[in-house]
Amino acid sequence: MSRLLRISLAAIAVSAAVPVYAQSVTITTAGGDYGNAMKEAMWAPAAKELGYDVREETQSDGLAALKMQVTAGAVTTDIIHLGSPEGAQAAAQSLLEPLDYKIIDPKSVPAGAKSDYCYPFDSYGTVMSWSTKTYGENPPKTWAEFWDVAKFPGRRALRANAQDLIEIALLSDGVAPADVYPTLSTPEGLARAIKRLEAIKPNVSVWWTSGAQSAQLLKDGEADLVVTWNGRAQTVKADGGSVDYTFKGSVIGTDCLGVPKGAPNKEAAMKLIAAMTQPARVAKLTDFIAYGPVNPAGYEGGLIPEDRLKTLATAPENAGTSVFSNADWWVKNGEAAQKAFDEMMSR
Amino acid sequence: MTIAADPALAADARSERRFFLALSLPALLIVGLAAILPILWIIRQSFLTTGGEYTVGNYEKVLSSGLTWSALITTVDLSLGTLAFCILLGTPLALALASVRPRVANLLMAFVMLPLWTSILVRTYGWLVLLRRDGLINAALTGSGLTAEPLPLVYNFTGTLIGMVHYMLPLFLLPVYAAMRDIDANLVRASASMGATLGQVIRTVILPLSAGGIVSGSMIVFIYTIGFFITPAVLGGGKVNPLSIRIERTLSTFQDWGSASVLGILLLVLMALVGVMFLVARRLVARNKVGAAHA
Repeated sequence: MSRLLRISLAAIAVSAAVPVYAQSVTITTAGGDYGNAMKEAMWAPAAKELGYDVREETQSDGLAALKMQVTAGAVTTDIIHLGSPEGAQAAAQSLLEPLDYKIIDPKSVPAGAKSDYCYPFDSYGTVMSWSTKTYGENPPKTWAEFWDVAKFPGRRALRANAQDLIEIALLSDGVAPADVYPTLSTPEGLARAIKRLEAIKPNVSVWWTSGAQSAQLLKDGEADLVVTWNGRAQTVKADGGSVDYTFKGSVIGTDCLGVPKGAPNKEAAMKLIAAMTQPARVAKLTDFIAYGPVNPAGYEGGLIPEDRLKTLATAPENAGTSVFSNADWWVKNGEAAQKAFDEMMSR
Repeated sequence: MTIAADPALAADARSERRFFLALSLPALLIVGLAAILPILWIIRQSFLTTGGEYTVGNYEKVLSSGLTWSALITTVDLSLGTLAFCILLGTPLALALASVRPRVANLLMAFVMLPLWTSILVRTYGWLVLLRRDGLINAALTGSGLTAEPLPLVYNFTGTLIGMVHYMLPLFLLPVYAAMRDIDANLVRASASMGATLGQVIRTVILPLSAGGIVSGSMIVFIYTIGFFITPAVLGGGKVNPLSIRIERTLSTFQDWGSASVLGILLLVLMALVGVMFLVARRLVARNKVGAAHA
């Protein structure tokens, strides 16, 4: 008996000490439905193909986590999922390794979206969504109408963050999509946007802090008009919630993948980013969440079913009235904008 | 002959002291590592720029910002509000618990303590289900015709206060109940036999004798609530922003560790001030009690 025990212990020790060698990579995502979608469509199949052992960590605030790891000199993640403005901010603070475009295909990103540090892979719209119970067939159609509380009474829910909201505030004030950033770049422009937000503040019942929360507010009918991300609105709608949304006047942003400065498996991380963002995989992501590829090849060859295209922010028919979120503007002016926003909130 | 004059006894006392000191070493070590060191680190951080150079700029920035002071006012408002409701609800409850038979009191106490064993996150989301627009409470109110429209019970100051009072009430109750239970029942009987009404008994006997417990309970409530984060974050709807939320936002949106550290120190100073205030109050109460006994 004791001999048998000793043999089996020895066997366990040997098998633990000499594992089959596999490159391991750690990826940090936002978790939730979105994180799962990325796993199923993107990194799990890519890891299988490369023979990598991928570990997932989740963080609702990627940039704060990234900064913590890099400044503390204890980088545990090899790939991190960020919003592109955060990606640009992280790059400006030297928190990311430069992307290796010898491994990642440089032609997979349209020139306007290209980044040297954080690879944009999908896009989303910040959209207007509403309860069909409250508004039936006659919802607000523009941001100006969203602001019109006399014509469209109801409780609003907005994100407790200046990002995308100040762009929307200017759109509601009659600024043309192309003029949004030029206007915001003047001191009066930012003040104008903040003033506009202050005007609607008494009708905002909740300032939400996470995408999941915004979806819950829609689902529960806690708010009648919600500014949220299209993927969240689409998920609630697809689940049978009495909810609809429009891409008219949406602010389109991209999410990106970066490699933290000092990541333990830098090269493997580049290879995994290249593999997980193959056109078929970023197209497959739309099976799970309505965030469309940045890579134009993702839209070719029928990789995405025709009827799904209309749920994606970047589909040609949806993009006409949209504003493309400008990461550079946010890196330069983000702090001032957020501060002005917070001051408006505390008044 | 006094104890101190006997060398053998004095040596005994010294070795006993050393023994007790040695016993507390592990605890001191943990406190040192887990509390003192991080605080020192935060103090250091508060004097550094993002680039790691020495500066007092963080203090200037934080202390001159209106956001800091409005967050401070919200923090104090929430703590005072919670305290007021704990005193209003908790004192009569403690009185009731202290006056029933011990067996019944134990049973009731178990009900009071039950929420303490539930995670704060679960409780907070529980309140969300109860208080929201189509939640149970509003459904009952509108369904019975008491109100025409659902009341705004959550995603505001009211909702935050409800969640905080619910969390703090048992912690307030414990010291107050202990103080009331220790009151000699003969005192109550004596005052009643001399014709005191119930109100007079409570006012002149019970409340003065349990004042120490009420002060202790109040201190626990105030110190705890100064640092509350989850409850205002979930039930405040983005409109209730105390210092704790200001710290989180400074870290996550601005990645400004220096300013966040200054805010943390501000919170610590506030706690220390309140702590000292309560300790002084407790000493005054104790002195009054002694004075009353001699009068």
